[in-house]
Amino acid sequence: MKNSKLKRFLAVMSAAAIAATMTTACGKKEESEDTVKVGLLHSLTGSMAISEKSVRDAEVLAIEEINAAGGVNGKQIEYVEEDGASEPSTFATKAEKLVDSEGVSAIFGCWTSSSRKAVKPIVEEYDALLFYPVQYEGMESSSNIVYTGAAPNQQIVPAIDYLIEQGYKKFFLLGSDYVFPRTANMIINAQVSNAGLEVVGEEYADMEQTDFAAIIAKIEAAKPDVIINTLNGTGNVSFFKQMSEKNYTSKEYMTMSFSIAEEEVATIGSDILQGHLVSWNYYQTTDTEKNTEFVKAYKDKFGESRVTSDPAEAAYDAVYLWKAACEKADSFEVDDVIAAIESGDISFDAPEGTVKLNGENHHLVKPVRIGEVGSDGLINEIYSTDPVEPDPYLSTYDWAVKAGIQPLE
Amino acid sequence: MKFIKKQGGNICFALIVIVLALMPLFLNAGLLSGSSTVLFLGKCIAFAIVAIGLDLIWGYTGILSLGHGLYFALGGYAMAMYLKLQETGGNITDFMHIGGLTELPLMWKPFQYFPVTLIMIILVPSLVAYIIGYFIFKNRVKGVYFSIISQALTWAAYSIFIALSTYTNGNVGITEIKTVFGSIKGSAHRTEMFKLFYVALFILVLIYALAKFLVNRKFGKLLIAIRDGENRTYFSGYQVSRYKTFIYVLSAAIAGIAGAIFVNFNGSITPSQMTISYSITMVIWVAVGGRGTIIGAVIGAFLINLCEYNLSSGSMVEIWQYIIGAVFCITIIFFKGGIVGIVKEQLPALFHKLKGKKSSAETVKEAQ
Amino acid sequence: MDQFVNTLFNGVSLSSIILLTSLGLAITFGLMRVINMAHGEFVMIGAYTTYVVQEIFNKYLPESMRDIYYFAAIPAAFFVTFLLGSLLEKLVIRRLYGREIDSLLATWGISLILQQAARSIFGTQGVNVNAPSFLNGGITIGGCTFSYNRLFIILMVALCLFLVWLIMYKSNFGKQMRAVMQNRTMAQCMGINSRKVDNITFAIGSGLAGIAGCSVALLGSIDSTVGQSYIVNSFMAVVLGGVGKLLGTVIGSTIIGSASIFTENYTSSTIAKAIVLLIVIIFLQKRPQGLFVIKSRNLDE
Repeated sequence: MKNSKLKRFLAVMSAAAIAATMTTACGKKEESEDTVKVGLLHSLTGSMAISEKSVRDAEVLAIEEINAAGGVNGKQIEYVEEDGASEPSTFATKAEKLVDSEGVSAIFGCWTSSSRKAVKPIVEEYDALLFYPVQYEGMESSSNIVYTGAAPNQQIVPAIDYLIEQGYKKFFLLGSDYVFPRTANMIINAQVSNAGLEVVGEEYADMEQTDFAAIIAKIEAAKPDVIINTLNGTGNVSFFKQMSEKNYTSKEYMTMSFSIAEEEVATIGSDILQGHLVSWNYYQTTDTEKNTEFVKAYKDKFGESRVTSDPAEAAYDAVYLWKAACEKADSFEVDDVIAAIESGDISFDAPEGTVKLNGENHHLVKPVRIGEVGSDGLINEIYSTDPVEPDPYLSTYDWAVKAGIQPLE
Repeated sequence: MKFIKKQGGNICFALIVIVLALMPLFLNAGLLSGSSTVLFLGKCIAFAIVAIGLDLIWGYTGILSLGHGLYFALGGYAMAMYLKLQETGGNITDFMHIGGLTELPLMWKPFQYFPVTLIMIILVPSLVAYIIGYFIFKNRVKGVYFSIISQALTWAAYSIFIALSTYTNGNVGITEIKTVFGSIKGSAHRTEMFKLFYVALFILVLIYALAKFLVNRKFGKLLIAIRDGENRTYFSGYQVSRYKTFIYVLSAAIAGIAGAIFVNFNGSITPSQMTISYSITMVIWVAVGGRGTIIGAVIGAFLINLCEYNLSSGSMVEIWQYIIGAVFCITIIFFKGGIVGIVKEQLPALFHKLKGKKSSAETVKEAQ
Repeated sequence: MDQFVNTLFNGVSLSSIILLTSLGLAITFGLMRVINMAHGEFVMIGAYTTYVVQEIFNKYLPESMRDIYYFAAIPAAFFVTFLLGSLLEKLVIRRLYGREIDSLLATWGISLILQQAARSIFGTQGVNVNAPSFLNGGITIGGCTFSYNRLFIILMVALCLFLVWLIMYKSNFGKQMRAVMQNRTMAQCMGINSRKVDNITFAIGSGLAGIAGCSVALLGSIDSTVGQSYIVNSFMAVVLGGVGKLLGTVIGSTIIGSASIFTENYTSSTIAKAIVLLIVIIFLQKRPQGLFVIKSRNLDE
């Protein structure tokens, strides 16, 4: 008799426990007088944590700096951090939690295109704001997203132009098998054939590829002048290490990389990467006053061995741009902030130079810098352009329009 | 009292369903912080459904599939393809355009129609599971060999989905879709959201009832017989491989349904839903909840996901990984029956022991 | 001709890496019937150990002496993973003998913990191990370059294989080990301390994963997820070769490695991976026990 009573009690208890967990899930929205909430949404676990941690760190640095300087519109920024776990649907779930349950004014987050694409419908439908800090493949312009990384015409197109100018004739396209390399290579194919030159090979490595011997053999067979490399983080390490074990340096096979920043140089080794080319908008060595401060602040906070990189800088800018937009709107309401952004008057004196937000497509006007990896692990600028207007759809480029790479209406 | 003892699982399930059914009311009453909680619970319902399917083959039949993410994703993709075509109005999508297609590919065509899609959600995972299950079980691949093969198979399927990016949009998956009831996000679309939520809940109840129906008759006993002594079941004259194939196909179909529900709530499906680690996560739900009891799978799916939702943020991220790893490990080693097992066996045993000690202490006292 | 030799060498080299990562598995899985999902994480620990040894050498030794770090790293990686494996066996695996599927799941939990531990200790970013300078470059014969790196790894595999064979078939301990694995009760009756044998066997398997980590560190990135990229291929190699036979694992790895390289010549690597896995799966339908089967009269094996 007693025993079955106990069992009933336990059954009820377990159900109650579930109900209790649910209610903790449903804490009330807390409105505070003197703080404003923003969300940070990056992968802190899983395969993408390798890259996203530095971006997250730069955002935290910017938030703390702003808070120390008195906050935004007189309010201190409070950040809520969520883990996207390198998994797009987790990104979607967490983004929804941030905008709806936490009621954040803006989200700073995402790295991969798949996570951005998963978050995009959510920020659009909830009318929220996402600041996306990474260079990407373009072909997108959402009114609820601010893209602080480079559009293709601010990274890929000028880099290929530079290579063509330097007399490289045979291109080999190597990328990881996902959307950025595939779209980037589509653009490069159109651009190269427009210049009357040749793409001698196009290869996609698996995301978890660890052995590049077969791909290197294909490169040897194709004999390109230059390899256009859009591999992702870990793929880069394996590829370059395995190129170097065959004695190949930048003299035998020059590479132009779009995903190798200072962080990656550190994990691959500067002795291997020395002399190879990269294309970004910012390097740790970029010579501006603002950058000296940024690098110092970053190293002071996270350790002398850490390096700043283009995505980290873009993430740092993102927070300041949001601040500028909020101040112009004198409000934290998303609609007001978007209106301020679309006025086209938002700019920030960034480490890479003054960046201006294009009110039409929500991208930044940025200078393009081609860099060469030096023996000290830093990247030295060897060529740069004036600030380039963002054109995510490449609609101002005749060859791109002719090749029909714009998305469908 | 005997009733409660016997029906403990069902009562618990009824309680969960009632709490879930009340959630929209809570939301309207302003007790929840936002509709995102309800949407998240909708995803949990999908997880609970796939967990029930997994429990049928693992908990009852003893076949550990490390590839149920595949079937979950197949159902999800079927649904997502229909929803995507609703968005584009039956035209080709952006990623097909980028891939150089001008016409809707053949494999997408059936998904223009809703009834066909509903059939495909069940048919595609079932068919794949049948082909795999038929050969594997006929050839008597069992135990860990099956687990490893199912794992490799999932990996292969994942690669294929990424390689065929013109048709599947690679690892971005199918995104920017609404639900079968149209948009459900934001407060303007609450009615649609509630509709979808109750439909999902109804399907959960149906699947639970189906699973209970199956395991409570001779068929269920047979599954357990296969788990506990496969060869003896053969010797008793049963065609074990047929039963195994059937339950495997059924569980794949259930996973497919779960995937379809998940897509509606999530608004996208990506190949990461068919990775090995995602599949093993599903096994964790069942293991922690309690294998071999249908209610255990449901409890596990809800509990783990709710904890993860609330705990894997901010400074807790690091600790959460340790917690989930340790909980899983400890459950497997010490509490084979999971939470249900603890409630049903370990706790009563503990109480008994305590009571026994107390009474023996009392007798000692009395003797003094 | 050159291309053929090149492909062959690449195939052998990939096979050797798969073999190195699956050798430890062949012992823990093949002999002890324990599915160690954390095996990949032991590879990761081996790689991180290499990194730590390198950093220590860089700090305390003059520049000219630094290259020898790698010779210190190999035994260090072996002992670190050996000890961790022994610990894991004592804490977890010991309770799971005879419960194969449960051992798989429990070690998955362990692997989550180990991955997070790596992130907590070394940060999420990858770390870099510089190949010692004597391994840079390679010999060029005709049109083919055989890199020292790969040759060294092949050599290391051969050495490991030889040592394992020595231990298993020529030493007293190997005799005890095989006795325990084949008939536990009988071995116990003969006075063999089966617990100790279990423990050391598992530790050796883990130690081999550590050595694998050492060589993997030369070829790619070292981060918390590195183990995951090797684990599936290794499991397939062991299953394909047939559980419980060293030769089976050797041939299983060779087939998977060469098939991968060969298929990749004709298609993209993503497709190649899928094709190889599917072929192996189809093959296992024909011979569910793998290529080499230990004959047993036991019905449930």
